[in-house]
Amino acid sequence: MAHTDVSGAAAIAGLGITDVGKVYGRTTNEFAADAVLRAVADAGLGIRDIDGLLTSNGMTGGGTFQLPDTLGMRDLRLNVTLSAAGATASAAIQYGAMAVATGMCEAVVYVHADAPLSAPGASASSVYAAPPSTPLEGFRGVARANGLLGANPLYALATRRHMERYGTTTEHLGAIAVAQRAWASRSPLATMRDPITLADHQASRWIVEPLRLLDCCLVSNGGVAFVITSAERARDLAQPPVYIWGWGQGHPAYSIERGCEFGLVSGAVRSGAAAMGMAGIKPTDVDVCELYDCYTFTVLITLEDYGFCAKGEGGPFAASGALAPGGSLPTNTGGGQLSGYYLWGVTPLSEAVIQARGQGGARQAPSHDVVLVSGNGGVLDFHGTVVLSPHTK
Amino acid sequence: MSGPVSRDEASAAFFDAAASGQLLIRRCAACGHWQAPYTRGGVALDRCAQCTSERLEWAPASGDATLVTWTVVHSREGAAPPVGVVELAEGPWLTAPLDADPGGLAAGMALVVGFSRPGGGEPVPVFRPRP
Repeated sequence: MAHTDVSGAAAIAGLGITDVGKVYGRTTNEFAADAVLRAVADAGLGIRDIDGLLTSNGMTGGGTFQLPDTLGMRDLRLNVTLSAAGATASAAIQYGAMAVATGMCEAVVYVHADAPLSAPGASASSVYAAPPSTPLEGFRGVARANGLLGANPLYALATRRHMERYGTTTEHLGAIAVAQRAWASRSPLATMRDPITLADHQASRWIVEPLRLLDCCLVSNGGVAFVITSAERARDLAQPPVYIWGWGQGHPAYSIERGCEFGLVSGAVRSGAAAMGMAGIKPTDVDVCELYDCYTFTVLITLEDYGFCAKGEGGPFAASGALAPGGSLPTNTGGGQLSGYYLWGVTPLSEAVIQARGQGGARQAPSHDVVLVSGNGGVLDFHGTVVLSPHTK
Repeated sequence: MSGPVSRDEASAAFFDAAASGQLLIRRCAACGHWQAPYTRGGVALDRCAQCTSERLEWAPASGDATLVTWTVVHSREGAAPPVGVVELAEGPWLTAPLDADPGGLAAGMALVVGFSRPGGGEPVPVFRPRP
């Protein structure tokens, strides 16, 4: 079976999004179960129609192990928890599509849920911070003494390198934050809906130079689930099918020596080329982008690596207004993880399904024949891509 | 901001050399590949990333480096000293504090290694602009 033979063989037939954002008092498993039931109902199916389950966890893992018992999902033919950090969701859709394309399963649910926010006023970032300082022993001690703890400073190193090499500026990053907030202002799902200006971005405090507060994603609670089934079956279900045209992954494993492209080139190059090749499309065919945005910079480097602009031109491309409402490449139309809600890769994936169906309401992109989705995990260590369309191949 | 660093068995040779002002890095006895003594996360890789040999030996580095990238961490206490990724003359990258004005930093600038003893502990590498 050639890669291209399964292009369009599977479709996303159901989408379930729980209350997301600053939603308290529910466990990861409760969010997951809620999301699964919503997705199954959205597809017009019952829970007994599901014979495959793919799960992933955020910072509050483990809860999804209880799902089959919680929901009475008996005799599943597939039940696996996946982990590729922020690239997990894009990968899960790939394995779900393969499971239905090969006949292993009839209908697979993929669900991701997380509940890192414990209560109003609790530090949103504390769950993502490094654990309390232990004695600084050996080389791990040296690394900890450097003070680069958690993801923020490591993405800052990547961003600074890109700035030094290509002339990318904090204002370029700001254009991404401003564009996504403009989309968020039109989305009822978004946590941060008040429009911002470039001046607001520039006035926001440094978190880790060169990243400001408004360059960094939110922290959110919630769950999102998807039903994946065959293209034929999807056509008979309740929602317009969203066909899975292509997919790919790219994981660079950066060397830490001369010639390393950390901060300059990401796994999106290989992943994007694989996904677009399988789908038989070029970047110019893409109508909508939903790109993993743990930071503004992640969007910028992904746009370059997918080929929407030349390497090094991501900053000017964003500053041109291309990504914003009315722009040539509507991107992160729900506000993304910067302004919408942060549930790792299911944030861009869920918005892609909404856009492909044409159900975006006030934020619907005018053309949505081809929707490109990215996932990114670790510090540009993992990358996954999915190409979706409301049209059969 | 950091407490003293203590030694363990795997880092003893490195700290002994550092105490006399010498930066030790790893060299593969099988293929000659130079390797950083530890990753940015403090992991000492136990195989050559070039040829997978386990025959990694300690070898002195020149101490010359160029700046690849850097960051300044902000917190309630204000801005911390800059921390950089440097490319050693031998090729490996090392993540280390920079003894420099952040406003004067630029990728490619020439640096030299020195050592400091935060909290009176073992000597850790610090890079400063080459005079």
